[in-house]
Amino acid sequence: MNINQRIATVLLTSRIRQLLVAVLSVTFGISMYIAMNGFMAGVNNVQTEMTFTAMPHLKVYNDLANEVEAILPPPSDSQTVLIVNNARNIRYTEGIRNATAIKTAVRDLDRVMGVTTQLNENVFIRNGVSRVSATLSGIQTQSEDQLFRTTEYLTEGDLFELDRRANGIILGTGLARRIGVGMGNNVTVSTSEGLSKTFKVIGLIETGAQSADRTRALVSLQTAQQLFSKNKNYATEVLVNLHDFDEAREVAAQIAPLTTYKVEAWQEGNGQRDSANVLRNSIAIAVSLTILIVAGFGIYNIMNMTVNEKIKEIAILKAMGFNGGDVIEIFLAQSVAIGLLGGFTGLGLGYLIVCIIDRVPFDLGSISTLPMQYSATDYLLAFSFGLIITFLAGYLPARKASKIDPVAILRG
Amino acid sequence: MTALSVQQLHKHFYEPVPFHVLRDLSFNIEAGEFVSIMGKSGSGKSTLLYLLSTLDTDYEGQITINGTSLTGLAQNQLARFRNEHIGFVFQFHFLLPEFSVLENVMLPALKLRKQSRERIEARALELLYLLDLKGQEYKKASRISGGQQQRVAIARALINEPAIIMGDEPTGNLDSVNTKIVFDIFRQLARERGQTIIAVTHDDEFAANCDRIIELSDGMLV
Ligand SMILES: Nc1ncnc2c1ncn2[C@@H]1O[C@H](COP(=O)(O)OP(=O)(O)OP(=O)(O)O)[C@@H](O)[C@H]1O
Ligand SMILES: [Mg+2]
Repeated sequence: MNINQRIATVLLTSRIRQLLVAVLSVTFGISMYIAMNGFMAGVNNVQTEMTFTAMPHLKVYNDLANEVEAILPPPSDSQTVLIVNNARNIRYTEGIRNATAIKTAVRDLDRVMGVTTQLNENVFIRNGVSRVSATLSGIQTQSEDQLFRTTEYLTEGDLFELDRRANGIILGTGLARRIGVGMGNNVTVSTSEGLSKTFKVIGLIETGAQSADRTRALVSLQTAQQLFSKNKNYATEVLVNLHDFDEAREVAAQIAPLTTYKVEAWQEGNGQRDSANVLRNSIAIAVSLTILIVAGFGIYNIMNMTVNEKIKEIAILKAMGFNGGDVIEIFLAQSVAIGLLGGFTGLGLGYLIVCIIDRVPFDLGSISTLPMQYSATDYLLAFSFGLIITFLAGYLPARKASKIDPVAILRG
Repeated sequence: MTALSVQQLHKHFYEPVPFHVLRDLSFNIEAGEFVSIMGKSGSGKSTLLYLLSTLDTDYEGQITINGTSLTGLAQNQLARFRNEHIGFVFQFHFLLPEFSVLENVMLPALKLRKQSRERIEARALELLYLLDLKGQEYKKASRISGGQQQRVAIARALINEPAIIMGDEPTGNLDSVNTKIVFDIFRQLARERGQTIIAVTHDDEFAANCDRIIELSDGMLV
């Protein structure tokens, strides 16, 4: 330890109470930063996870054309009046005809994690007298599971049974309750064309999303294609998941030229979810930074008081031959020490708070405790912010101390 | 050899009213000389000492110590010069209250870093014993009497074996026994080591035994 650091240590430890307050304020700021950001990120993750249990990152489907061509050219002279009544935008084709080709093309892209096709139609499901409307999804079990981890949400039965049994159907738990059926029971599915077919319930699924659980029925893609008399390249949707869902928009733009169908990233129509995430993150950062800045003001205040209190000692040091740089070093060392002490205890306390939050019971769908994300970056950022702020808060008083004119003080 | 040379030194205060404290002082002090500065209270003795010690740089004229012209040097250079060549005992014996007596004495040497810590400590203890402070070394500086503090300040001024030792009433708070001890130390340092001593004093006996007396009256040499 050099002489300046030694002096800094003595000055700092001669006021244990102030030292403690300063250190604690940094500790508090840093641990809050870690806990808040971890918690918010955890909430975001759960939200995202829930969002993507049923929704893909990208979706290709047959949409109404966006630009509608004018039926008649605008009149060329002002004497002619053009009146078109009841103009309609009609979809000439249903579904996707070349779903298999699209799937193969998309699957080989870099950023794509998985692709699956679905054939979704509205149907009625009947159990004797009770009849409810439902969405029948013909799915490819393997890739569906890869995208949505469907097997994890099955409360009973086996997803892959669908491939082995053409008359097998899996119902959402809410839907099964609505029509009063259970495992092994038979239900009748009728299409809007009036066709009917009997299925056997071989599984139940519960994702936690009520609206889906109350209306969803799964069969294999082949079964659905047969039921609706479509060929094996037909599907209503091609669903794509990416390694990083934040890239959905870019990948959508990349896929769009490959097909004439509409390619939609998840953010479209889910803008509120995206902005809610951004909002939550901003609040977490704003609140924790505010705490750190307040801690900074506290340190500034304490260091300023110290400089005023020790003004005589500073004058003596300067009279003995310590220069301005030495004085800055002596006082800056004190605030850096506060920052480091507060920083390390803050990291510890932050981790503790994070662990506690992570253990608070909280039941919602797939989670049983409050969500929490453990991120090394948060710890690193919190620590650096803490240090930067204490450094700045210490620098101003230190500079003031270095400018003290010893004669003015020593004259008495 | 001339240890200290002052040429046409003027000092003004502008607050609260313009005041010409030191008027055209010129004198030389030889190396190894033991000089007293005397004069009425308010005659400008302390003011002069602050100028000579390079702490106060707001003056007109020329100050040269050991051949180095100090007028116009930068603050950092002056700090370095003070540390190495000037020992100062203030009128009000200023110590660092949080540090032990021993550390107070060692500080200027630790700053200078010309010797190992052990050597500095041994030398500091030697000085403290010399000044009859045995038993006080590890007490906090705030926990000893005024006279003891003044002697600690003297020990601190001597630690770097400076070319010039300046004292502003260095024996002001001491009894006759301790005054004699300090006087003898100064005398010895001047005679045997050739260190120059400049001491402000109101003590006629102290002054009478010096090599020379510089007397100030209303900011002028008498
Ligand atoms: N900071 C200042 N501003 C204005 N005038 C000052 C200041 N310091 C000292 N003076 C004036 O300068 C004159 C000399 O003061 P100085 O402290 O040098 O006296 P001194 O000879 O040391 O007196 P004493 O023996 O009482 O210590 C005094 O008249 C004093 O009022
Ligand atoms: Mg005086």
